[in-house]
Amino acid sequence: MFRFYGGQVVNKGTYWNLSNGEGISAERGMVLPGDRTVKYLKVPTAGIFLLGPLSGLLFICLLPLMSLLMVLTLMSRSASASEALKSDEAAMCMGCHATQGVEKTFRNKDKLSMQISESHFKDSVHGSLTCTSCHSSVSMDNHPSAQYASRKAFAAQVSIACKQCHSDEQLMAKPMHRQAITRSNAPPCSDCHGSHAIRKTTRWKEAASNAQYCLTCHKKDLSISLNGETLSLSIDETILRKSVHSRHECSQCHDEYSKKNHPLKSFKNKRELSIALSGVCSGCHTEKYKQHLGSMHTSLLMEGNRNAPVCTDCHGAHAVGPKAIAETLSGTPCRKCHESTFQAYKSSVHGHAKMNGKTSAPICSSCHSAHQISPALASRSPKATCLGCHKEAAALHKEWLPNAEMHLEAVACTACHVPDVERQVYLRVTDNSSGANIYKAKLKEFLGTGYDTLTLTGENGIEGPQLWDVYQRLGDKKSAAGLTASVGLQNCNDSHKLAPKAMAVKQCDGCHDANSKFFKTVSMAIIAPNGHEEHFKVNRAVLGSVMTLLPINQFYVLGSTRVRLLDILGIVMVFGGMSVPLVHMAMRILTIPIREAKRMNKLRKEGRK
Amino acid sequence: MKKLYLHPLPIRIWHWINALSFLILIFTGLQIRYRDVIKITSFKTAVDIHNICGFLMIFNFFIWLIYYLFSGKIKIYFPAFSIKGFVGGCIRQARYYGYGIFVGEENPHHSTPDNKFNPMQQIAYLNIMALFIPLQIVTGILLWDLKGFAYWIGLAGGLKVVDSVHVFLFLFFSAFLFVHVYLATLGHTAGEHIKAMFTGFEEVPEQGHSH
Repeated sequence: MFRFYGGQVVNKGTYWNLSNGEGISAERGMVLPGDRTVKYLKVPTAGIFLLGPLSGLLFICLLPLMSLLMVLTLMSRSASASEALKSDEAAMCMGCHATQGVEKTFRNKDKLSMQISESHFKDSVHGSLTCTSCHSSVSMDNHPSAQYASRKAFAAQVSIACKQCHSDEQLMAKPMHRQAITRSNAPPCSDCHGSHAIRKTTRWKEAASNAQYCLTCHKKDLSISLNGETLSLSIDETILRKSVHSRHECSQCHDEYSKKNHPLKSFKNKRELSIALSGVCSGCHTEKYKQHLGSMHTSLLMEGNRNAPVCTDCHGAHAVGPKAIAETLSGTPCRKCHESTFQAYKSSVHGHAKMNGKTSAPICSSCHSAHQISPALASRSPKATCLGCHKEAAALHKEWLPNAEMHLEAVACTACHVPDVERQVYLRVTDNSSGANIYKAKLKEFLGTGYDTLTLTGENGIEGPQLWDVYQRLGDKKSAAGLTASVGLQNCNDSHKLAPKAMAVKQCDGCHDANSKFFKTVSMAIIAPNGHEEHFKVNRAVLGSVMTLLPINQFYVLGSTRVRLLDILGIVMVFGGMSVPLVHMAMRILTIPIREAKRMNKLRKEGRK
Repeated sequence: MKKLYLHPLPIRIWHWINALSFLILIFTGLQIRYRDVIKITSFKTAVDIHNICGFLMIFNFFIWLIYYLFSGKIKIYFPAFSIKGFVGGCIRQARYYGYGIFVGEENPHHSTPDNKFNPMQQIAYLNIMALFIPLQIVTGILLWDLKGFAYWIGLAGGLKVVDSVHVFLFLFFSAFLFVHVYLATLGHTAGEHIKAMFTGFEEVPEQGHSH
């Protein structure tokens, strides 16, 4: 009844445009300006006279009440804090504790500043409390000077006050608190929350990065006990920031942990924790992790050797350095477990080159690979490793060594390039086309019961008939595998003592002589799942046995591994050849009288004629 | 006595080169295989000389082959086509060596340029020249480059088999050498056959002896 629209025909009166507040005095039958969206209000003149005083009265009455409510609502916090601090008690405390240089000295000579920042306290969640709310033993009349053994002891004593308001039940609801406060060496509250500048965590938590959030606690001196072993949970932030993962957030690796989640985990011991956590690396380093799974280290772990290295053992947990460091003499992680081998390497031609600054000189990973760590087999299986770098070696050997390629296949590089060490012959079962070793499990599959016959050796070791049996079974199974042999070092560690080229064995006579000691020891080498070789003694006579003519048909050392049966045949033939003339000649001499008599008879007959 | 031109020049050259290379090959072969028994040269020297003489012998073998093939004289190595004639000839020759020679019988075989060898010689030399020497050449070449001939060595049964064949023949030739030299002394006079191998001519009685 009081509302009108633009374009409407109206009676006489004053119409107020609600959009711009303009009043229009309309005559009867006038059309209001604008379209239908423009709204007008018609207020009777008498109404204005009545409504005006009424509104004024209401405003005057409500104004003080509204002011009071606003003051109470908006100013309550600051008013109470300042009131607290400005209370006599607080003023008295701050009289000293606002001063710079107020310190407390503990019995262990540690010092702690007792200065309180008024502004920090005002901003804290405890801003409304008084000093004695927490420091209940202190009052305006009494300020006991208690002595504490250490800062920690002091913090523990003061933390008791927190429990006056924050009950155990309330704290236990959060798993981290439950873990922290139920421990015998529970850290005092202030270790994590601070003392006077305690803030509500919600907003700070949102603003903080994941790493900042985690490090709030983990940069402190934290540790837990795992079945008697102490596990430090402290992270040195400076080390973390210097690592190759400096920009990573904690949750990228510790993906079950975040600002919202902090599950409690238990491990049998520190080693089990390391093993369990090593899997996190696969998230980013998938390829490397796959390679590691194929390494002999993983095989050892799977076999139950819990000391076999996992990612963190070589790379560290938080101080992961760049790849280049692992390739230096001081930084290679292998020496932690393989120190004696490392020392042998250091004394080698490769180690010397590395020490003299030749960066391209090989280090552990160059031969054993960095992740798919395997025996380099340079000590036993020729060409497995060395020719990868020494590409010209084959051509250089050809210049002076007859059948150089054959030598490079049957003689380990180390057998000549590591002087003055023991050598021997190794028999292996290898793939015919690739030359790769057949692993124990596969060999068992091929040989069946023959595997036990082969490995349950007598006093003299494996004999020719056993190798013949292996040869036949491999053939029957169409295994495409066969027995091969090579000359290598007895102790694989010696292969790290590679000498300069000039010291390498170059005299053929050292090998090509039946008296050569290199062929006095023969072993059957079978590669176990962990990559190590299991060795079974072989009777040295098999190298010269007719039984191995076919089974070991590619290994023959002129003069040294000759077939004995041929020697016997040779002696028989040569003595036979020599005896024919001797016997015949003797017979001819003995029969001279017969021929002489015959000749005389003939002459007589001719004479008669 | 009459003079027969038994050994043409190419055959005499081939024979003496062959003899020299055989001796050196046997000596170096001993040096390679039995160094623990006799050690005169270094292993490397023995291998190098063995290889050189091996190729010399191969070259020489082809001199023999080409000469006999192109001159048509190769037939002197082939025994009689008649089995009866060949076996009978062998028995007669064996009887001579085993009995007749002691009692002063005449050698049943009379060498002529077209029929130089008796049936036993024929079968022995045919085996040596057509089987043993080629086999020794082939195994020697295979052993000379093990990697290059790896496929063929594999086909032959492996390195050890090839070497065993080579060594077996080496031992056979070493043994045969004694018999060969001894038989060479069984001519009209002890040095007749040997002299003929230098001059080409052999003096034989009008109804003379020959082995």
